[in-house]
Amino acid sequence: MHAVAVETKIFQALADPSRRAIFESLTSGELAVKDLTRRFAISQPAVSQHLAALKDAGLVDGRREGRCVYYRVEPRGMKPLIDWIAHYRAFWADRVDRLEKLLEKMDE
Amino acid sequence: MSLHDKTAPSQTDAITFEIELRHAPAKVWRALTEPELLAEWLLPTLGLELEIGRPFTLQTQPYPGWDGKVDCQVLEIEEHRRLRYAWVVAGMGLDTVVTFTLSPTASGTLLSIVQSGFKPEQKQNFGGARYGWKMMGGKLVDLLARPT
Repeated sequence: MHAVAVETKIFQALADPSRRAIFESLTSGELAVKDLTRRFAISQPAVSQHLAALKDAGLVDGRREGRCVYYRVEPRGMKPLIDWIAHYRAFWADRVDRLEKLLEKMDE
Repeated sequence: MSLHDKTAPSQTDAITFEIELRHAPAKVWRALTEPELLAEWLLPTLGLELEIGRPFTLQTQPYPGWDGKVDCQVLEIEEHRRLRYAWVVAGMGLDTVVTFTLSPTASGTLLSIVQSGFKPEQKQNFGGARYGWKMMGGKLVDLLARPT
């Protein structure tokens, strides 16, 4: 799939506040569909639909265990959104600023 | 402004900064190598020892799906002159090397910071890239509320 199409999918998946909340709660660990249903007070079919959209965007992954389905964040899911070069340009510019301030404070 | 971004616009595999500092190389070296000083300007370190081949960790901001740990390994040490280490986030496809070079000047030190080894295909991620990083900065909700 083209990179931009992946990005669009990710943004669309996260554009919905409920889906975003579900995604964010999964970032602290794996949860069963029934846990999510309880936590967000929305119906199980609605939760499952949100999870399907997140899974389709590659943001989460699910596994079945007995009668329960567990979901977790897919670590590489956000990768299409990451431009390391842009990130590190901003990062180093910021850190160098801090380095200069630190050097002023340090003893000779 | 003493910071110069020397990265050529067409360059896709490395970023280069040069900074003129009004401090002697020995002092700058301390800021680059002492964990308690590094924590103040760069990132908290874990297990940093100035020893070739030595692995250590930098702890950066976690975000969904990544604990924020950067895996490093000391590659080159030339006291007060040069420090080079691997800067890797394997799960995210980042495999780079960071080189700090200190050159004494009349007024202090010229510090160059080069991070190299970015993969060219990462440049294709132009579309949502800047949003991706802002998300990690905690602005997820604001940004995603915008129409896509």
